[in-house]
Amino acid sequence: MAEEEDEAGFDDDMDDGAGGADGNHGKRKRLFSKELRCMMYGFGDDQNPYTESVDILEDLVIEFVTEMTHKAMSIGRQGRVQVEDIVFLIRKDPRKFARVKDLLTMNEELKRARKAFDEANYGS
Amino acid sequence: MADPARIKTESNSEKSLAARKSPKTEDTEEVPVTSDADTESKDPSSQSLKREQDSVAGEDEDEGTSGQPASKKLKVEPEKKKEKRQKVDEDEIQKMQVLVSSFSEEQLNRYEMYRRSAFPKAAIKRLIQSITGSSVSQNVVIAMSGISKVFAGEIVEEALDVCEKWGDTPPLQPKHMREAVRRLKSREQIPNTKHKNILFH
Repeated sequence: MAEEEDEAGFDDDMDDGAGGADGNHGKRKRLFSKELRCMMYGFGDDQNPYTESVDILEDLVIEFVTEMTHKAMSIGRQGRVQVEDIVFLIRKDPRKFARVKDLLTMNEELKRARKAFDEANYGS
Repeated sequence: MADPARIKTESNSEKSLAARKSPKTEDTEEVPVTSDADTESKDPSSQSLKREQDSVAGEDEDEGTSGQPASKKLKVEPEKKKEKRQKVDEDEIQKMQVLVSSFSEEQLNRYEMYRRSAFPKAAIKRLIQSITGSSVSQNVVIAMSGISKVFAGEIVEEALDVCEKWGDTPPLQPKHMREAVRRLKSREQIPNTKHKNILFH
């Protein structure tokens, strides 16, 4: 049985967006085409990456998000996705763990800064 | 090419580099923050503490990778750890500035794309909500977009390794991507809950 990413990639190669009756991943509208192109260039690919590669990557990212969401729903508070669940799920992966910690810390700092700024404006 | 995005060695510098990149990558936020403003926002906090500590940056790693011992260390010596961390941040900022100032134009373009690119929050939120059926908080969306970007980066880096190993040149082709996925799967870096290991058949 071919793996899911392989099938999606193979289908994309064969009929790029042609109308079909099957509910394949490749038939869904592309959500991240533009952003993924910039991202691939940023990560080291050519300035114009191949569309098929971008499609494969998009399918992979969507599958990753889906898997993480399902896992997060099954732990902690059932049926809901909370930040603590996500942090728990990637605890073993140092890069992702550090990244999430940094993002959340920076978000808090920015919120505090914006709040202080707004209060300063309100006072004057 | 000294492209920071391609640094792959699992060393202190790589981890702290990855950790340092994130504060500046607030392009996901609505407030447009340039890199200068970023270093300034960090500087006031680091300037308040002077360079009294001269220990290695190695301990800083533990906080990122394993939560348990780091929190115990924090309780024992909070002040010392904080000063050390801020000093390490200062060094990191300076090193990054030196590095970025020596980039060629093409490297600068690529670095800018690396920092600025992000997944649209609305699309990620819609995707998560379509799976859960209920609404999710903003922090979840922020966390998920962040790790998705790291995930995409891991795949692209692995695919570039494969491409180089096979003697091809960029742009990456689907066969490189698929081989990269296969390798990451064998290292269990790609979550897969579809396959059940039946131990005793």
